[in-house]
Parts: sequence; C-alpha cells; structure tokens
Amino acid sequence: MARRKGLVINDRQLDRCDDLLQKLKEVSGSSFLALISTSGQPITTASDEYHPETLSLASLAASSFAATQQLAKILDENEFTLLFHEGKALNLHVSQVTDQVLLIVTFGRETQVGKVRLYTQRAIEVLRQIFDGPEDENTPAMDAGFEAAAGTAMDDLFKDM
Amino acid sequence: MPLINFAAREINYKIVYYGCGLCGKTTNLQYIHRKINPDARGKLVSIATEEERTLYFDFLPLTLGTVKGMQTRFHLYTVPGQSYYNASRKLVLQGVDGVIFVADSQITRLDENVESYLNLWDNLLSQGDDLSKLGFVIQMNKRDLTEVFSVEDLNELLNHTDSPVTESSAVTGQGVFETLKVVCKQVIAKTG
Repeated sequence: MARRKGLVINDRQLDRCDDLLQKLKEVSGSSFLALISTSGQPITTASDEYHPETLSLASLAASSFAATQQLAKILDENEFTLLFHEGKALNLHVSQVTDQVLLIVTFGRETQVGKVRLYTQRAIEVLRQIFDGPEDENTPAMDAGFEAAAGTAMDDLFKDM
Repeated sequence: MPLINFAAREINYKIVYYGCGLCGKTTNLQYIHRKINPDARGKLVSIATEEERTLYFDFLPLTLGTVKGMQTRFHLYTVPGQSYYNASRKLVLQGVDGVIFVADSQITRLDENVESYLNLWDNLLSQGDDLSKLGFVIQMNKRDLTEVFSVEDLNELLNHTDSPVTESSAVTGQGVFETLKVVCKQVIAKTG
C-alpha cells in the first residue's frame, strides 16, 4: 500500500531545536516556547516553571495561525507571518518557521515585545536551516511491526466500548 | 500528514469528523471523551457558538500508548457543519490523515448530506493532497431513528469511492468506537 510522508524529526534535528529554543528562552526573557506543526501537533518545548497544556495549545495556536493566513488573503495581503496576542500578564507570539512548522513564544509583561521579536526572527533563520536542510540519511524508518502492534493496542483500548 | 518525531519517540495522526450541520460529529467526540479511559485522552476543546453549534472546531487528543517504542496519538477534530463556515472547514482539514464522513441517515437530510460530501472532496482536492493515501470512512449515523435511508441506498448515494461504511447512533454510542478504529487502522496502514 502506498504510504504518505509526513513531517519526520530525527535525533539530530531535535537536539539542535532544543538547544536553540533554550538559548532563545534565555536571551529573549520568554517563559515558554514550543515548536509545533502547522497541523497542530507539538514537536518540542522549552520552559522552566510554566507548563501550559501543550496538546490543546498546539491545536489552537495552529488553527489561529491558519485563520490569520486566510485573513491576509481576504485583505489582499501577501501573508501575515506572525500572530500576537497581548494579555494582562502574558503575551503570546506565534510565527511561521517553514510551511510545516510554527514557533510559539510566551512571555510576561516585563519582557519587551521588540526584544522577543528580534531574537525570535534570528532563531527562525537557524530553525529553517534545521528543517529545510537535506534529508538526513540516518533518519530511522518505522518498525516493520508497528502497524500490527498499533492494531492490537487499538483493539485493547476500544474493547468493551 | 503525520508528525513522526523519532527523537522524542512520538507519532501523531490527525483525524477529522466531517459532515453537515447536526449530523452528530460533536456527539461522536463527546461520547468518546465520556467513555474512554481518562488516562488515554486529553481535554475536549470546543469552539462553539452560544447555541452550542460548532463555530470553528472541537478537538480531542487520544493516546494509544507506546507502540513499538513510539508514543502514538490521534488528534480528533470536528468541523462546523453549516455551509457558510466553509473557510473554517478548509483550515481544519489542513494536514489531515484520515476523514470520517458522518452522514445523517434521515431521509429529510439527503440534500445536506450530498452538499457536505461534495464540499469535502472539493476542499480536499484544493489542498492538492493525494486522496488515495488518506484514511476515509463513511459513518451512517442516527440509525436508531425511523424515516431513515437503508444502508444500501445511502451507500449508493454517497460512497463513490467504495470506502468502508459503519452504522452508528452517536447519541447511544453504538458504532462510535468501531468507526474510529476503522479509520485509525487505515491511517496507520497508509502513512506508517
């Protein structure tokens, strides 16, 4: 059966992303960062104490960003490359890394928006190289028995329902 | 498209419930949320109007557990059913791995079913995705009601791809998990 190819992240990419997010968090003064896919799935996060519910956050941020892109089209703007929400205590900044990846940054009122935007933009340039670079030959393949094992796991989870 | 994170040992699939207004998409998700082991699910997020009609989407993450060393998740979404929310429906379909088309079996809802079904394929084609590689199931819902089409008739009217069909009553839960299981197995087979 033909198989679809999705977004595949290998060890090296994730290590580089984690290092970069950690540095970005420190230099920008942000409290929580997450890389997510444009279809709303989390890739990795960086935070110290603040841990929002990542699955819902990724889903909502990706959907909001996609809606923002459509707003741009309706307004005859080429693209809106970021989404910004200003709160009483916390701000949310979502920006596009590649066609398949978004970066979420949250930061408090004490942190300057300009500083976050500047360092985020620089980080995105490096992140693009990580995701758009040539495919790593060391990226592993799915275990051949995954499909059968997943089927069994599903039968177990849904039994008696 | 699935997100396969070998480094974090995670794999995530996106499943979308599609169909006309009031066909039972949100009811499917609510039943799953209510019945499944709470350890296997996350929060049910709904963006709905004051009348509890879906405005943008509902979202429910399900965790299958660790399969061959990979934490395996299904992200379940619904779309708004009313035709004037098509822009939102297109957004929810982005990156989809499997679609459950929820058909309202009532005879009086035929036009809405057909319109929604054609709209689904329009939207999928406009994404430029290879549709043969999507998981796809037609769930014939509201089988507990009277004045409904026979399964054979509804199949002939809606199932031009000869896809798997399930029968359900999302209100009582009949067929809800069976449908989900069919599409989940399809997406794993097609995407790895």
